[in-house]
Amino acid sequence: MILADAVNTTVIAKGLMIGGGFIGPGIGIGLVGGNYLQAAGRNPGASKFLLGQALIFVAIVELFGLLAFASVFIFAK
Amino acid sequence: MTLSLLNFLADSGPSVHIAPGSVWHIGGLAITNSILYGWICIILICALLIWVARQVTVKPKGGIIQYIEVAVGFITDLVEGAFDDEKVGRKYVPYFVTLFCFILFNNWLGLLPIVGEGFKSGNLPLLRPFTGDLNGTLAMAVVTMLLVYVGSIRESGGIVHYVKHFFVGNPLNPIYLLVGILEMVTDLTRVISLSLRLFLNVTIGEILIAVFSYLGHIAAPLTALPFTLLEVAVGALQAYIFTILAVMYLAIAVNSASEHDDLTKGEVPETIGTTSEGAVNG
Repeated sequence: MILADAVNTTVIAKGLMIGGGFIGPGIGIGLVGGNYLQAAGRNPGASKFLLGQALIFVAIVELFGLLAFASVFIFAK
Repeated sequence: MTLSLLNFLADSGPSVHIAPGSVWHIGGLAITNSILYGWICIILICALLIWVARQVTVKPKGGIIQYIEVAVGFITDLVEGAFDDEKVGRKYVPYFVTLFCFILFNNWLGLLPIVGEGFKSGNLPLLRPFTGDLNGTLAMAVVTMLLVYVGSIRESGGIVHYVKHFFVGNPLNPIYLLVGILEMVTDLTRVISLSLRLFLNVTIGEILIAVFSYLGHIAAPLTALPFTLLEVAVGALQAYIFTILAVMYLAIAVNSASEHDDLTKGEVPETIGTTSEGAVNG
């Protein structure tokens, strides 16, 4: 109650939303990239094929981070 | 819904538009700046590709023709390689090449300084990236998914075969039934995920460039340049991803339909605990 009166809690909520929403995709893209490098190191011949597959999964993971960013604009009051 | 990003931090900031603005009204229809830009892009792409198509010779020539040939060949290989039967894939090559070229040119031409805040009509920018507008990307995703549904129903031989590919095993098994229904529901989210991914990537790129050119002040070209170069890579990547995801949605349905045919011919008994070879390995 008192906190809500003193500061604009929407700004804090947006900060938490962006910060929290980017943790998951950050970990996910790190895992995809790390595992791609590992696979490419083990089997360099397949690295070209694996890069395409890795990029697809990066895009799938990345969407959730972008959604967190977009929701900042949806709750814009 | 025009919002500026830095309003959270300061009173004034770069002017950032999330939604397109209507520039003209023809009849009852509003012509938005993204539609205008989309039309210009279509004319440019048509002119370029028709010109290139007339220049193509058996002996390779240099110049821009070479690069377009590489791009078209890349997508052609991608589409044909995704299908078990290459002849099926070849039928869908023209659509996916068009899709790839359209998104790629839209993303890249959208980075030009004339697009966005450069030319203004009244308060609104006159041009806006077509892919940076949710209406545009949603239209592209809906058309693509309609093609995927129609194509996969036609190639898998009837709607029964198409629905069958959602179920990994016998639909009478309650677990397989539940998984199948869940798969069908997640299938509907593909339109949203395809359109949102492209829209948000392009829009966030625009916001990023706007913010950094605002922060740069006098040295705006210098501060915005690294992010513009980043967006060149992101634009190409998003065009590739939109195309390959659409190809994969089509290929998964078509390929697994032909696998199911093999399974039913063999009459493999389904028992809990053991998996039939046909279902897993195909």
